[in-house]
Amino acid sequence: MSKRILLCAILSSAVVLYLQGQEVRVSGTVIDASTRESIIGGTLMVKNTSSGTVTDTDGQFSLMVSPGSVLAISYIGYTSQEITVWNDTTLNIELATSTVLLEQVVVVGYGTQRKVDITGATVSVQGEELAKQPVLTATQALQGKVTGVQIISSGKPGSSPNVRIRGTGTALAGTSALFVVDGILTDDISNINTADIVSLDVLKDASSTAIYGARGANGVVIITTKKGQSGPTQINYNNSIGFREASNLIRMANAEEYANYASAATGTAVTAGGTSTDWYNEILRRAWTQNHNLSFSGGSDKHTHYLSLGYFDDEGIVINNRFQRFAVRYNTDYRLNSRVNMGITASYVNANTRDVNLGTAYNNAYRAAPTIPGFEEGRYGNTSVYQNVGNPILDLSNNNNRLINHRIQSSGFLELKPITGLTFRSSIGNELTNVADRGYNFQFNNDLTTFLTSGGNQRNPNSSLRVKSENSLRWVWDNIVSYKFDLGENHFNLMAGTTAEQYTLSWVEATRQNVPADRDLWYINTGNANTSTNAGEGDKWTRNSYLGRLNFNRSDKYLVTATVRADGSSRIAAANRWGLFPSIGLGWLLSNEPFLKNNTLFELLKVRASWGKVGNDRVPSDAFTTTIKPNLAYPFGGGIATPGSAITQIKDPNLKWETTEEFDLGLDYSLLNGRLFGEIGFYDKKSKDLLINVKVPSVTGDEDGVVLTNAASIQNTGLEFALNWRTRVNTNLDYKFGANLTLNKNKVIGLNGGQPILDGGVGGAQIYTTKTDNEYPVGSFYVLQVLGVFQNQLEIESNKSGNGQIRQPNASPGDFIYQDDNDDGKIDDNDRVFVGSYQPKAYFGFNGEVNFKSISLSFDIYGNTGNVVYNGKKALRLSPFDNIEASLAYDRWVTGSGIQTEPAANSGYLPASTYYVESGSFIRLNNITLSYALSPAWLKVARIKNTRVFLTAQNLFTWKKYTGFTAELPDDSPTRSGIETNAYPTTKTIAGGINVSF
Amino acid sequence: MFLFNMKKMNNHIFFKIMLAMAILMVNACSPDFLDVPLQGKGTAATDPALAENLVVGVYNSLLSGDAFGGGDTHGIAFISATNIMSDDADKGSTPSDQIGIIGELDNFLQTPTNTFVASLWSGYFSGIAKCNQALQALETATADDATKKRWIGEVRFIRGYYYFNLVRLFGGVPLVSRVPLSAEDANTDPKFQTRATAAEIYTFIKDDLLYAVENTPLRNATQKGRINRGTAQSLLAKVYLYEKNWQKVFDLTQSVIQSGQYALLPDYEQIWRQAGDNSSESIFEIQTGVFNNSDFGVNGYCVWQGPRVGGKGGWTDLGFGFCTPSENLVTAYEMGDKRRGPTIIEIDRTAERRGTVLYDGFRVPSKDSVENFYYNYKAYHSENKNVESFLGNRDKKQKNIHLLRYADVLLMHAEASNELGQAGQAINDINTIRTRAGLSNTAAMAGQGLREAIWKERRFELAMEHDRFFDLVRQGRAAQVLRAAGKNFVAGKHELLPVPALQIELSGNKLIQNQGY
Repeated sequence: MSKRILLCAILSSAVVLYLQGQEVRVSGTVIDASTRESIIGGTLMVKNTSSGTVTDTDGQFSLMVSPGSVLAISYIGYTSQEITVWNDTTLNIELATSTVLLEQVVVVGYGTQRKVDITGATVSVQGEELAKQPVLTATQALQGKVTGVQIISSGKPGSSPNVRIRGTGTALAGTSALFVVDGILTDDISNINTADIVSLDVLKDASSTAIYGARGANGVVIITTKKGQSGPTQINYNNSIGFREASNLIRMANAEEYANYASAATGTAVTAGGTSTDWYNEILRRAWTQNHNLSFSGGSDKHTHYLSLGYFDDEGIVINNRFQRFAVRYNTDYRLNSRVNMGITASYVNANTRDVNLGTAYNNAYRAAPTIPGFEEGRYGNTSVYQNVGNPILDLSNNNNRLINHRIQSSGFLELKPITGLTFRSSIGNELTNVADRGYNFQFNNDLTTFLTSGGNQRNPNSSLRVKSENSLRWVWDNIVSYKFDLGENHFNLMAGTTAEQYTLSWVEATRQNVPADRDLWYINTGNANTSTNAGEGDKWTRNSYLGRLNFNRSDKYLVTATVRADGSSRIAAANRWGLFPSIGLGWLLSNEPFLKNNTLFELLKVRASWGKVGNDRVPSDAFTTTIKPNLAYPFGGGIATPGSAITQIKDPNLKWETTEEFDLGLDYSLLNGRLFGEIGFYDKKSKDLLINVKVPSVTGDEDGVVLTNAASIQNTGLEFALNWRTRVNTNLDYKFGANLTLNKNKVIGLNGGQPILDGGVGGAQIYTTKTDNEYPVGSFYVLQVLGVFQNQLEIESNKSGNGQIRQPNASPGDFIYQDDNDDGKIDDNDRVFVGSYQPKAYFGFNGEVNFKSISLSFDIYGNTGNVVYNGKKALRLSPFDNIEASLAYDRWVTGSGIQTEPAANSGYLPASTYYVESGSFIRLNNITLSYALSPAWLKVARIKNTRVFLTAQNLFTWKKYTGFTAELPDDSPTRSGIETNAYPTTKTIAGGINVSF
Repeated sequence: MFLFNMKKMNNHIFFKIMLAMAILMVNACSPDFLDVPLQGKGTAATDPALAENLVVGVYNSLLSGDAFGGGDTHGIAFISATNIMSDDADKGSTPSDQIGIIGELDNFLQTPTNTFVASLWSGYFSGIAKCNQALQALETATADDATKKRWIGEVRFIRGYYYFNLVRLFGGVPLVSRVPLSAEDANTDPKFQTRATAAEIYTFIKDDLLYAVENTPLRNATQKGRINRGTAQSLLAKVYLYEKNWQKVFDLTQSVIQSGQYALLPDYEQIWRQAGDNSSESIFEIQTGVFNNSDFGVNGYCVWQGPRVGGKGGWTDLGFGFCTPSENLVTAYEMGDKRRGPTIIEIDRTAERRGTVLYDGFRVPSKDSVENFYYNYKAYHSENKNVESFLGNRDKKQKNIHLLRYADVLLMHAEASNELGQAGQAINDINTIRTRAGLSNTAAMAGQGLREAIWKERRFELAMEHDRFFDLVRQGRAAQVLRAAGKNFVAGKHELLPVPALQIELSGNKLIQNQGY
């Protein structure tokens, strides 16, 4: 009797265990309903969890879920489906094409949502779209694809571009968007291998970024890396190999043109000589670039993993410049049972840069006379002795600077689901960086061993070595609880949580002189100990926050999202330390309303409105504390100096958060059976209490003449338009086109303290070129207006003001005529006028893809208009012996020429004027790619599932009005951007490669 | 039954885990999590010897010479506005180098946007602010009374000296005597934004210097290089000289002479050698030395004025070649004046092309390889380690700068004596100077003749020592002398430099520009 009971108990407990803890396997294939082709990379997500998988190259999938789970299958361009799974099943899912992008699932802060449920302005881009381009970072690949997002890259290898979302909303405290990579908040994604990215989501408006509170003011970019999938291991290899070269070089004068100009400018005879050196040609080269990626993805029912290895090598178009990156990533998910889920993502990146001091070399290449040879018979031409300008080739070769950057980024999470709908998630992310920096300057004399002619100032009597080691650690710890429940037609999703973050940094540097030139001896000990110097500093800051969110959905028609976040930061003074950032978003799905439900025109019509408040606290840790500058010594009686100190900076003890309030309106639509879709948006962003370096008078005793304080308010208003057309003509041909346009107006609306900010000094006579003041965009150019050129002495003398004073008494024929704006008889700073800003009024992108059988052609075009840039290089002419651009060599004014736009040959040192301000409009063929998918039978024999070869060109052609090198100038600081001085030339790349999967 | 138990057990585990999560959720972070002390940067609270360090920091401001950046007190901007602007020296260097900035000052074409004008203004005010900070810290410092008073005296001397330079360069300037609480405070306090009159500034200077006179010990009781009573008295005498208060000048200089602390060096040349640093003749001298294993001196003072390669080239030169003694000065010396040699490096323009050999053996080639005809020998510091200290940093050579010497005190004494009717005393003083210079006694007797002889002696004794321009202005003959030297001097305008345009704009246009600019 007891045996039976025991057996019964065992059986029933087995059943219970089976029912409770046991999971079911669901597997199958996902195919396109009309073409019957398998869908590769389709997403299957288990609703209310963050687990899921992706279909493989045969369209197959397999995963374990708990009974009763709802599986959401989606893929871009198809209508999603939901299937509830109760037991082990094999599903053959057929997805119907629908170009309603809005069905996809997108990542929002601390969770995911269906795009259709979103009330804020967000955009999602798939990883494969980004991986097509031979660029270093995913953000560079984003250029021109998303409304409201402006990406400005420099051609420098290893550099990350500026990401500006919806205009410049801050003046100083960091203009870059926040990046969140698998939950880790970071500022630099140059270590992320684009091939590892599944999706990149951009959160634009305040209601979607408010959940990030103090870091959301500039927008948020969320990157999710690939997870594995259960099933047999899939191996994927792709590469791209190509070359890069400078895309727009200014032609500088050759020896003859130069001799002609310099003779006129100096008044002495300058002869051309035998050589004509093209300095830019000497320091630039055609560079090779390559990128290899190998990934393994697979797993079992409980355990999935993804391993990838990548190698990126970019030579850099400037000689001696090189960037190499080796990256390895391992992501794994482990499902303990239906209620406990955990995972780890980990990546290690080793980036090795051979850096060059481009600033000096580039400047010198612009100024160096072409009559001096570059490098002949093992010796350098001596431009220093001729015109006091260093030989740029020597500038790049007389030193060796190497940076090795090790970066470990990892995160781990634990998720518990005690009852249906309730989830606890705790995750820790960290980032550990170590930088080893070594710079060596070779010893060389200015005699005939180095130069063809001896003399000059370009020499280094003692070799020197500088070694620096920097370490930083950042950790972030999130604890989130979410609860999802339904009350009839009303669906609620509540989330509450807390997060803490800490960052520490320390670095040490040592230098010594007279270190031998042998690379194996480049260690501090081999130098002269009597010349030792050292330095070191550190930093530490913390953040703590509480957050909450409510999502409400009634019958898929009415949507409400409300979030609130309280942020505290150690970098803000105690009195103002905590900030509260709420937001609310409303959405109305008109297309689901009864009166539109059965219409044939719109599949989707949704209006949304949102309001939110976000903050920005990216200031240096010592921004509000008065510090003492040590080691200001004085040698009483000579000999070794006695150390002393001074307080050299005034700080604002009441420093507080910057806050941005944004109001957003949007309309999402999809018509004609999903072939035409897009969105229209409007936003109005007011950023106030902006931190800015306010110039203070010298009498305050602030040594650099600026104080950091909350002193400005900026408004950005804009319109965004996105329009996409996608259609499949027949089984063999389909195409899609997309266009986006963003109009943005930027305006300073308040300067607390009333002081306009003057910035943008270029040097020489141009102490400032920009003025940031009420009613004008930030960093607007404020210069003298050029009216023409004096043709003769009579014009100079008759140029009088209202009160009879000769305006420019010291001018000579051939000099510029400046506008006397206030008619006071003299030309000075009071005559400057506002002439535009570096911020474009409109930026746009146009992209398209055509697929015919196995051939695919895609392109994208990007451009902007309505901005101006400042040709700072031209302004830096400091001597009549400096070289000039070829176009000026003969197009300058000479007596009798009647020219009104160019002055006579001069020795530079001109004041800031509209002569240097040029239009920044441009259009660029950003990328064009042709690819061909091979699948002959013999490949199948080798078990290769899929092969694709492609040819791509980046930045092939640019049309611009600007006569300088590039109109896209990465931000310096918002009040001094758009000034080209030492911009790294933009590059064009042509590459080809192959994708293979096994 | 068993069923229930299994459920309970699973739930147990979950409850335990949930509890743990809940505890975590309540955030183990303590409230001081957000109170992070500043890493690696000291504050006023962390330095126990703050006052003493700030005092040394004030002295450090004497070395600033960042003419293109943060501020210049004794660098190339100072050199340009004193020596080059006068008839003692020309811009020098190549014709086009710095033709804008220095060329303007040389020929009186400066505008309110001139970079050096701006860096002089900010350099001196930066120094004054450091003085005010130090004085504020000294109020609450824990040191004995006598030391405190001495330090206060030293700092007030330097503040007085900076205001003296400011008032001579710009006229009346904002009178800043305290530390602003914040940028707001500085922007709203009228004292910071309006120019006090020159008279008010002079009163302030005299107050500061008087305190220094009363509270610093004599030279032989003071660390070398620090401000002592003799220094304060000499500068105060000079201030009275500019106010034409002859009795005070006489009294103060008499004090200095009779203190027995100073004497002329027998060999004029020796003053300018490193061996002559802090000699018996030195009254106020900017100290230089070594710091952090590197040369430590006034930024750029030597390298801006070093002989420069030109023409055929072929040798490594010593600097940029600015501030070249003018033909006017060189030809004005009397025959046999021993001061000419140590003041002027004369470049060989003879056919023999022997070059010029300097005191340390360095040979400057002849004119066909050198840019200019003359260079300032008083700014030369040997790069030969066996002769003078040099660790390789040309920008900060260890060259002390002589701002006040005993010879100057004697000359002030002479001038005051003459103005007070004691011609005999004046002639004695001049003759002491002239004898050292290897010249015969002066022929002047009294009154205007003697006055001019004294003025002439000042020129040769203190040539290239940053005094000439101010001297000419206070003597009232700037226009006459400078125009005769071929410069574009406009009386009523060029006695003062323009107030920097940026400073006027930042003051909200409350600062009034000098007349004529």
